[in-house]
Amino acid sequence: MKDVGMGGVSVSGILAVTASNAAIWTFGIYTIAVFVIAAFANRLLQGKSFLSEYFLGSRGLGMWAFALTFAATSASGGSFTGFPAKIYTHGWILALWISSYMVYPICTMGLLGKRVNQVARKSGSITIPDVLRDRFESPAFGIVAMLLIVFFLSFNLIAQFKAGSVLLQTLIEDAEIFQSLSHTCGLMIQGNSFFEGVEPGYFCCLLSFGILVILYTTYGGFHAVVWTDVLQGIVMVFGVAIMLPLTLSQVGGMRSGTELMAKMIPPRIASGRLDFDQATDQPVTLKDLWFGRTDEDGEQHLYRLSRSISLPAGATSAENVTFVELITPEEIDLQWKRLEENRSSSSATKVQEDITGAVGSGERDALNLAETEEIAKAYWPFDADSNPSVKPLMTVHFDEVQEYSYGAGEPGNYVSGPAPMGPSEAGRTDEDVAAAAGFLPLGMAISFFFMWAISGTGQPQYMVRLMAFKDSKTLRRAIITVTIYYGLIYFPLVIIFCYSRILLPGMENEADQIMPAMAVTLTEGVGHGWLAGLLIAAPFAAVMSTVDSFLLVISSALVRDLYQRNIHPSASDQTVKRLSYLTTLIIGSIALIFAINPPKFLQDIIVYVGSGLAACFLFPVVALLYWKRSNVWGCLGSMLVGFSSHLMMHIASWLQGGEFTNPVDLFGLGPVVIGLAASLLAVLIITPLTPKPSEKLVEKYFSVPSTT
Amino acid sequence: MKSTEDPVYRHSKREAIAILLLWGASFLWTVPYCYEYGYRTAGEELELDLFWGLPSWVVWGVAVPWVVCGLVAIGMCAFYIQDDDLEPAESLSSEVNSSESSNSS
Repeated sequence: MKDVGMGGVSVSGILAVTASNAAIWTFGIYTIAVFVIAAFANRLLQGKSFLSEYFLGSRGLGMWAFALTFAATSASGGSFTGFPAKIYTHGWILALWISSYMVYPICTMGLLGKRVNQVARKSGSITIPDVLRDRFESPAFGIVAMLLIVFFLSFNLIAQFKAGSVLLQTLIEDAEIFQSLSHTCGLMIQGNSFFEGVEPGYFCCLLSFGILVILYTTYGGFHAVVWTDVLQGIVMVFGVAIMLPLTLSQVGGMRSGTELMAKMIPPRIASGRLDFDQATDQPVTLKDLWFGRTDEDGEQHLYRLSRSISLPAGATSAENVTFVELITPEEIDLQWKRLEENRSSSSATKVQEDITGAVGSGERDALNLAETEEIAKAYWPFDADSNPSVKPLMTVHFDEVQEYSYGAGEPGNYVSGPAPMGPSEAGRTDEDVAAAAGFLPLGMAISFFFMWAISGTGQPQYMVRLMAFKDSKTLRRAIITVTIYYGLIYFPLVIIFCYSRILLPGMENEADQIMPAMAVTLTEGVGHGWLAGLLIAAPFAAVMSTVDSFLLVISSALVRDLYQRNIHPSASDQTVKRLSYLTTLIIGSIALIFAINPPKFLQDIIVYVGSGLAACFLFPVVALLYWKRSNVWGCLGSMLVGFSSHLMMHIASWLQGGEFTNPVDLFGLGPVVIGLAASLLAVLIITPLTPKPSEKLVEKYFSVPSTT
Repeated sequence: MKSTEDPVYRHSKREAIAILLLWGASFLWTVPYCYEYGYRTAGEELELDLFWGLPSWVVWGVAVPWVVCGLVAIGMCAFYIQDDDLEPAESLSSEVNSSESSNSS
């Protein structure tokens, strides 16, 4: 065990107050805008077939609406939270990880687009289970598809609800109005066992975000979702366009940024305990906190407190605290200078006041002199000499220091493959193999090339958008638009967040906060803190546009595929309408309740859902669209084999004592490739062994009456 | 009545094959190139080769192919993918009821 006496404490929010107030305004304007949109969309529902309009926008989407709703739905919260976090953690290898986005738009829209739209028109389908059912006249097939969609997307909905709430919290947590609201919320849920461990701030944001999305989706239906997607799609591309030049200017250009990255050595992750010299006199949250010391050899060490710690009044210590210790000398030097500069800035003065107020500065006289001496050796920007109000108030005890499982002690891993992998990513069943192979071994690189472009094609929530465009000219133009749009977003994101390692070091344990943190750093760096609100609106928009689409797909599955087509086919339009509103409301509310205590590993759940849906839907849908010989047995078999083989790789991990969300690899390949391969084999083997489809169906979907 | 193969099906199939070829070409270039020039074995000395300030394997393995694939995709949409006559949207207003009745019958 290593004990290090530390002095001085910074307590500051990721967002400056100015940015937080701007963010409140952004959120307010957003809220108004989406409700106006929902109201217009609701007016469109009048006088049209309710179901077709509510769930599919009457198949009348023009180019911009179709392109941007497709792009915004595909770019989920992961694009602006999980993806930047991965770039930050692993470096330039993420360019390869995401590289199949170069063909993503043409694959996901072009491979099935025209044909699925036509088949849906021929069969009068509104949902994907509708298409499967009608194409083979098999209600059972439709029900299986519906159950799989509800199963997978419900998980994802919870994950996205959490992502949205966390983002919103980051966005507004320093605003006074939010803090008082959060305090009130905390008092309301205090003592209720259901809310045990739930942070009041998160709960407030979940309620605001959840209720907003549920209401506008419920009220406006498909058109509300599409139009808000358009708004959100525009916000996303502007966000990236602003961030890229700001990043490049602040790291001194690409060359100097990449050269510094090449020198970077993965940090060490330390865990331990914080002891306070005096009990806190009021509840306090510690975050964005650095500890520095200079050892006997004159070597500087920097540790960053991971995540925030909320302490009640009267706390004398904080257990299970983790730190990131910077190892790269150039990084330490750079960050030390930055901390020094901040020390004399006005924000540092504010920080200092927070500390003294929070931990009981009135009793500083009782400080231990020996510890003060220790502090003299340790170093912190707010040193005792120049800031008499800041005295040694904490002692850090490190219990365990962990090295990265791949890349420890070695420079160059952030600019080359297979890239570093942190100890926190252990827990995989094949931990040793993974540690030896790094973040992206060749097999995983191949898997991810399949994962995005090919598995993206197999997502029913995107396919349903392909059923909504007006004509094939719209499809062609939309593919061009999305190709340009994604080129403007994804590669620049890799550049921005690779260099975020330089601007914001030590965030490995809270890399999912890197996007809002960068927004603040970049905008404050140029003296426009208010702009952060606008930048953070981009990921917020991404989450919102995904959540609303999922919500509608799930409720359409239940209302259309289960109730109307299987339980009560002759239900009146009025009944269906009420049921649609009610189902959307209920599904959204259930997801919201589960998101209060969401499962861990949300990003892994998102990957599990995406790859699982592809394994279930891609080849059955390809077969029914393009293979005349395809039949219900082959397609249903393919769907079930894809589902079970994908699931087995996750269950195998769990049976071996690993996490369910960290599947085993087979031949170095991930579940998406194995699931897709199994599904393809199943359709190719089962179809010829089972009866041919009826002539009538083949005729209907593959022929047109001859004009001669 | 005699029938002929649906042109939307025929065109879509041909276009899907071309798109798959594009995906295959991008895969066959990007993954092997990046693996060859962007990967190191543990302990191997790093030779940092920059182009436009980025690691050169990123430029030639990902950025340039990204631009090329984008241009090819745009070219395919402009000149190769055909405009087909999908079923007119106005006949769809009654589709829910018609599918219901076909289901119940």
